[in-house]
Amino acid sequence: MAQIMHILQTQGGDILHAIGQHIGLSLISLLIAALIAIPLAIVLMHHERWAKVMLQITSVLQTIPSLALLGILIPIVGIGTVPSIIALVIYAVMPIFQNTYSGLTTIDPNLEEAATAFGLSRRMKLFRIELPLALPMIISGIRIATVMIIGTATLAALIGAGGLGTYILLGIETNNNALLIIGAVLSAALALIFGAGIDWLGKLSFKKAGIVLLTLVVLIGGFAGYRKLANPQTQITIAGKMGSEPEILINMYKDLIEHDHPNMQVATKANFGGTSFLFKALKSGSIDIYPEFTGTVLESLIKGDKLASHNPAKTYQVAKNGLKSQYQMAYLKPMSYQNGYDLAVTKQFAKKYNLKTVSDLVAVEGKIHAGFDPDFYQLKDGYPGLRKAYGLNFASAKTMEPSIRYKAIANGKVNLVDGYTTDPEIREYHLVVLKDNKHFFPPYQGAPLMTEKLLTAHPELRTTLNKLAGKVSTTDMQQMNYKVTVKHEKAATVARDYLRSHGLLD
Amino acid sequence: MIEFKNVTKRYAKNQALDDLNLTIPTGDFFVLVGPSGSGKTTTLKMLNRLIEPTGGDIYFNDKRIIDYDIKQLRQQMGYVLQNIALFPNLNIQENIAIQAESLGWPRKERIERARALLKQVDLDPDKYATRMPSELSGGEQQRVGIIRALAIKPKVVLMDEPFSALDPISRKQLQDLVLQLHQELNMTFVFVTHDMHEALRLGQHIAVMRLGHIQQIGTGEAIMQHPANDFVRGFFENEHTPRPATIQDLVIKGYGQTTTAPATLKSTATVSELAAALQTAATVVVATDQGARQLTTADVIDYLATKEAD
Repeated sequence: MAQIMHILQTQGGDILHAIGQHIGLSLISLLIAALIAIPLAIVLMHHERWAKVMLQITSVLQTIPSLALLGILIPIVGIGTVPSIIALVIYAVMPIFQNTYSGLTTIDPNLEEAATAFGLSRRMKLFRIELPLALPMIISGIRIATVMIIGTATLAALIGAGGLGTYILLGIETNNNALLIIGAVLSAALALIFGAGIDWLGKLSFKKAGIVLLTLVVLIGGFAGYRKLANPQTQITIAGKMGSEPEILINMYKDLIEHDHPNMQVATKANFGGTSFLFKALKSGSIDIYPEFTGTVLESLIKGDKLASHNPAKTYQVAKNGLKSQYQMAYLKPMSYQNGYDLAVTKQFAKKYNLKTVSDLVAVEGKIHAGFDPDFYQLKDGYPGLRKAYGLNFASAKTMEPSIRYKAIANGKVNLVDGYTTDPEIREYHLVVLKDNKHFFPPYQGAPLMTEKLLTAHPELRTTLNKLAGKVSTTDMQQMNYKVTVKHEKAATVARDYLRSHGLLD
Repeated sequence: MIEFKNVTKRYAKNQALDDLNLTIPTGDFFVLVGPSGSGKTTTLKMLNRLIEPTGGDIYFNDKRIIDYDIKQLRQQMGYVLQNIALFPNLNIQENIAIQAESLGWPRKERIERARALLKQVDLDPDKYATRMPSELSGGEQQRVGIIRALAIKPKVVLMDEPFSALDPISRKQLQDLVLQLHQELNMTFVFVTHDMHEALRLGQHIAVMRLGHIQQIGTGEAIMQHPANDFVRGFFENEHTPRPATIQDLVIKGYGQTTTAPATLKSTATVSELAAALQTAATVVVATDQGARQLTTADVIDYLATKEAD
């Protein structure tokens, strides 16, 4: 709870911004869906067969999982707001269409007969009789669509459209329950508030409801237009993966670029998505730069025979050449820190048995009860390989979720865990990382990745970003991650402080 | 003047109207009467083209109704439905003025007309004009249904069994009302009913229909005195010899006090038998489905007095 309050206090502005994005995204989608579904239902109300066909189509669209739909849309319309809105509209059309159609077609036939017998025009019949009578059904359709849209809009964060989903994803990714709760509770609250607002709208007369809706449209339109005018096109977009570390890095890039080249404007997109998503975004030109790990490049991005080297410099070379030849991408020089696998024990445990390196574990292997991440437990680069390389035979080794294993070692349930070298928990729980003295773990070094096209157009970026080459030690990174994740300082501030204190920025 | 010439209406499986010939003089109160399935409602709805004939022609003022613009035709005809069908989303004055609105009358005129009509049928405009239909009783609603049909001063008013869903007292009041309106307004009324009693009460001319054929057309008196065939005669006899009222009928209307005293009569006994029993005793106890009831002479007199009003 205290953590939630702290986050709300320190990141209140960002959260408000996310709420704004979420509402904007939802309302625009809702509006477009209503503008499609209601006229369509009106047109089809006297064509039962076509209406049935339409209902089938919208129902089928509804069954496509939202993630799959986003995946289908990315190659067609790219990432960001547009595909999110398209996906949300596709989901929202069905409840609105279905309710409007059944609202219009279940009107008491006697009333229809009366209106016909009085010689009312089709138009007057529709606006004076049929639509007002169907209004409660239409409103409930819109209500269903709204609640659905606000829920589904959390997925928009996956493809860089922002919104409250950012906090949910970030919360899952960094195992920060406070963030998760903030994102989930706020989006649930939004759904409730909008549901109630729509109910209220339904109680107004036809005319008043129209006025309210129109006002809303003008407000959203005006706001969007204003934002467009107030934010001129930026030249460079830098994105980062989920978590604090990439966010710190992209803020460093931004500060360096803007400092060196006042004519350039940099937009940052933190917590933009996973590896393959960012890589696709880079290829499609949606983003210009993002920081990537050398190990990850070898592991999942470039194809072909990859020499599993444990030498960082060699790994970087292989990654760089592969990216250049296979994707025409430029991979600048890596920073000093390595964010690879490690093994960690508590300080007391290390002291008691005088543990400094992984090899030291052999002497106490009978006393070791390990908690490992499921991936680490299975991967060749993880526990199985490690066991062979060092000849280890632990008393027990269990798999557990990444966050739980840190809590388990803190509570004394296990006495050895795997982790990433820059995890802030190492500092938080006072752990000691054992030196990989046989260089078994593949090196993971972060470096800026961009298209060659961008670098050719702006060769000055190389000099600027290479200022970070060989900088930022593992301890530095651990400390910065700790500040952002545990102390909830702003990534931008932490990044700038680092650059200033190391003389990279005045 | 309205004329049906050799009009037929055939549905996939049955013949609703067969070679119908009919003349309705201008300004008449014309009643179509017959049992269900006789084609009376079909005949009525052909006038405002809710139903189109499959053969023959219908003339309205010497012009075929299919040669009229359908909207203009309908705007010369008021229409009252069996189940009233007031638009639940519109208030009373908006309902009354809906046809006027579609003709583009200015708002002020529409409201004035609606209020005048409400006054004409004894509904206080200040009280009723802005109420919603659901706030009115059935009888009040059908009053509004009738004046809605009159709002734009149509030449013809079509009424499709308008009173069949009402209780007997409201029905009688509304029958009086339409008779009075017909006298005042100089319009042609075409009225459909299955109730011969109602037909006799209202119609200047009556057409008795059965299975898509007209059996007889004439004034009520002429038909009563010289029925054209057995069907017409039978239809009238049913009206003349109603089922004798039983004690159960009284009890259903709420007469009688609950009692625990032993019963001397069954509820299937007629009212006459009850009257006979009351000649010798001040109260009579009757066994009914709802338990024993104690009835008095006053109950019988009350019952008979209100029954006559039906």
